[in-house]
Amino acid sequence: MPDYLLELSKNPAARNAVKKLNLPLPLPENLKRITGPWPEQPLADLVVDVGHLPKSALAPFLAKALCSAGATVYASGSDSQFAHYQDSATAWGRIAKIVEADAKPTGYKAHALVFDVTGAQGPEDLKAMYAFYNARLRSLASSGRVLICARPFGNAKDLGAAVASRAVEGFMRSVGKEIGKKGATATLLYVDEGAEERLIPVARFFLSHASAYVSGQPVHISGAVAAPKGYSNTRSLDGKTALVTGAAQGIGRQIAIRLALEGARVICMDRPAEEKATAELARQIKGSALHLDITDKDAAKVMADHVAKHGKKLDALIHNAGVTRDKMLVNMDEQRWDMAMTINLMAVMETTDSLLPLMPTDARIVCLSSIAGIAGNPGQTNYAASKAGIIGMVKALAPSFAKKGICINAVAPGFIETRMTAAIPLTTREAGRRLCSLGQGGLPEDVAQVVTFLSTPQASGITGEAIRICGQNFIGA
Amino acid sequence: MAAKKSTATGRRAVIVGGVRTPFIRAFGSFTRLNTIDLGTKAVKGLIEKFPLPLKEIESVVWGGTMLPGGVAVNIGREIVFDAGLPMEVESFTVVRACTTSILSATIAASMIERGDADVIIAGGSDSTSNVEVRMPPTLVHKAAPVVMSAKSTPSDYLKLLGKLRKEDIVPGRPSIRERTTGELMGEAAEKMAARNEISRQAQDAFALQSHLRAAQAISSGRFAQEVIAVETPDGETVYTDNIVRGDTTLEKLAKLKPAFAQGGTLTAGNSSSLTDGGAALLLMSEEKAKALGFTPLAAFKSWSYDAVDPWDQLLIGPAISMPKALAKAGMTGDDVDLVDIHEAFAAQVLCILKALNSDAFAKERLGLDKAVMKRDPEQINIHGGSVALGHPFAATGARMILTMANELAASGKQTALLGVCAGGALSAALLLEAV
Repeated sequence: MPDYLLELSKNPAARNAVKKLNLPLPLPENLKRITGPWPEQPLADLVVDVGHLPKSALAPFLAKALCSAGATVYASGSDSQFAHYQDSATAWGRIAKIVEADAKPTGYKAHALVFDVTGAQGPEDLKAMYAFYNARLRSLASSGRVLICARPFGNAKDLGAAVASRAVEGFMRSVGKEIGKKGATATLLYVDEGAEERLIPVARFFLSHASAYVSGQPVHISGAVAAPKGYSNTRSLDGKTALVTGAAQGIGRQIAIRLALEGARVICMDRPAEEKATAELARQIKGSALHLDITDKDAAKVMADHVAKHGKKLDALIHNAGVTRDKMLVNMDEQRWDMAMTINLMAVMETTDSLLPLMPTDARIVCLSSIAGIAGNPGQTNYAASKAGIIGMVKALAPSFAKKGICINAVAPGFIETRMTAAIPLTTREAGRRLCSLGQGGLPEDVAQVVTFLSTPQASGITGEAIRICGQNFIGA
Repeated sequence: MAAKKSTATGRRAVIVGGVRTPFIRAFGSFTRLNTIDLGTKAVKGLIEKFPLPLKEIESVVWGGTMLPGGVAVNIGREIVFDAGLPMEVESFTVVRACTTSILSATIAASMIERGDADVIIAGGSDSTSNVEVRMPPTLVHKAAPVVMSAKSTPSDYLKLLGKLRKEDIVPGRPSIRERTTGELMGEAAEKMAARNEISRQAQDAFALQSHLRAAQAISSGRFAQEVIAVETPDGETVYTDNIVRGDTTLEKLAKLKPAFAQGGTLTAGNSSSLTDGGAALLLMSEEKAKALGFTPLAAFKSWSYDAVDPWDQLLIGPAISMPKALAKAGMTGDDVDLVDIHEAFAAQVLCILKALNSDAFAKERLGLDKAVMKRDPEQINIHGGSVALGHPFAATGARMILTMANELAASGKQTALLGVCAGGALSAALLLEAV
């Protein structure tokens, strides 16, 4: 069943009427998304307002990220910081404008408000960040972005810096909740020293409309995994082979489609019972179909053989297949427990292990976790345990995989509009949709965007992370 | 000046000479000359000025973007016939928007350098006065079965008339809009000017420079060595370009209204105009030129053809092509004596210079350490450009090659770098060297 409030909000007359009559209807913003292949300049002609602390280090990198993505930059900061924007902007043919740090924007809506808080020595330094957003947040466009860059608090050399770094996270999460009704999102990128170059493509992704349903999310950017020799912002996956489990329907299907849109040759795997849908998808995206139940005892070997035959190497492995077998714990039979744990967790561990020899030094692994695995859900002890286990696996494997050049991450979808969520009773479903900053459910393609980005060479800075795609769900965010 | 460098390894293609028709504002004296006619005038003028045994000519590599529809597609071959060249002279026609006759010249040079030919006429012509007015394809689709069939009876024709609707018989309006973006060239240039903050004053000052320099080249007789007199079907003889305004001033230019956008900065005065004209070059292998007793003007050193994103900056391409052509020749801007950039719009030239002068552009767009060729607007286009002279699309490249080749020969300078932007977000650069 469609989201009637979202449908209503798409009609300007109805939107106006609701506003005028002061009806207690929380009309969600129709989120801007990228439907076609990623464009070379996802921020073309959009205004990005950017600010720095005097000692912030990221101006050269943010300048490259913003200007090469086509943004018109309004920058505040020191002369030497502004010079980076002036340079990059000239290179990309959009002259950067200098603005006062605490000046209220006039005459424009900003697509994104970016603040670089690296170099903060203590909480007193955050006042500049407060002033920047205080003056500007009103000018943020719908489906806009708040992006804050900081140093990770674990690496801070003294107490003041550590406190400041962690304080930014609370700030960012609250901003996300304030701007959600505009369809706008907030992200915090923790950038390790030495990993600044990796920030460029990550900032591009989180500033673009591709990250529509991610909000309130801190992401750690490290230099743990070797950086790619080069990469392309478009058709990033040309020449690469990806395998998606559970590809026939819903989120898995959209992941396969998005991976193919960005150039990957996709092996679409699903149970033999889904043969028709899997084969149809494989035809549509010019990939191959693998009709296989992941719980078959030789499934791992069959997968490896299929990869060897169709792609020779496996550049991206997407563990998407999963089941729910919900029951309150006191009523849950053993079979439900076993089934969720086997398919959602044990099969993932096993196939990761057996496919690893086929994965080259810049391979990527993405595992579907769930917001239930972070927050817990009544009736989902089995499911939540398996999905939390996924996060454990990703964090445990990341350091050793990093040495091989492989990134492994989890994504945790919240309420996504699928066949699965359509089956939830109406009142529960409505609650699921509304209880997030964006006030609406996400779409399978929103998950696919993040999974696909994490599968690209340019996501080399992200590993061992669990990224929520939940519109900043109020529970578990 | 840079030390003399030479690419004289193996065969080298040289420019022996060239001519062009006067460049005349569209719907003026050349209205009754179509693209083939203008090409024919140029080629005839060329062989009159540089007489050689006609049987030596092996090929005519021609360019045209405004082809006389329904008459001929391979207009080069028609020019062979109309110019009275031997029937055995083979010919083909190329199109690459405003870089068309840079392309025809470098294809000819390639043919010579790989030993396919010794003597080739290359060039291009365009009659914007004869831009084709198209009938809707639906008319063709409906009419074709009746018109093409030998069995059609008068009653079939009557039935056909009954089937036609208004939209089938209203001709399409000719347009120089980009097919992908729907943008007019001028709109694209207006956008570039705004993004790069190129002021109206700067554009007008550059346009003034173009007009004054072109006017000087005409009045001093400098262009007399390359412009031929053309007799029109009306019996008029046209001797010189008619768009150049040697008497224009900054004040006059400042009074003109924006042409493409309200509050815009591009005007008729700082943009090139729709123009009729043709230009032809005589290219030979160096040995053949010597054997036939010609003194070559210049040789081809390197070139680069490129494309950019039409949604971004449609006409910025030369800022990429010119450094690339230099890199291929192992040169930098310090080695270049003359720079000639096609002036579709003063704004577009100034945007290209801004990019060429930017170290950040060189780093981020070209992967170089720093800008390889920095120039001020006063340092380029010594004899003016398309803003003053006009821009018959397929003749402009050959016009620029001709002027620069003559300049190298006359001045004793060593190298000239040409840059041309084009519709479809294409670009070309060509590096010429003295012989």
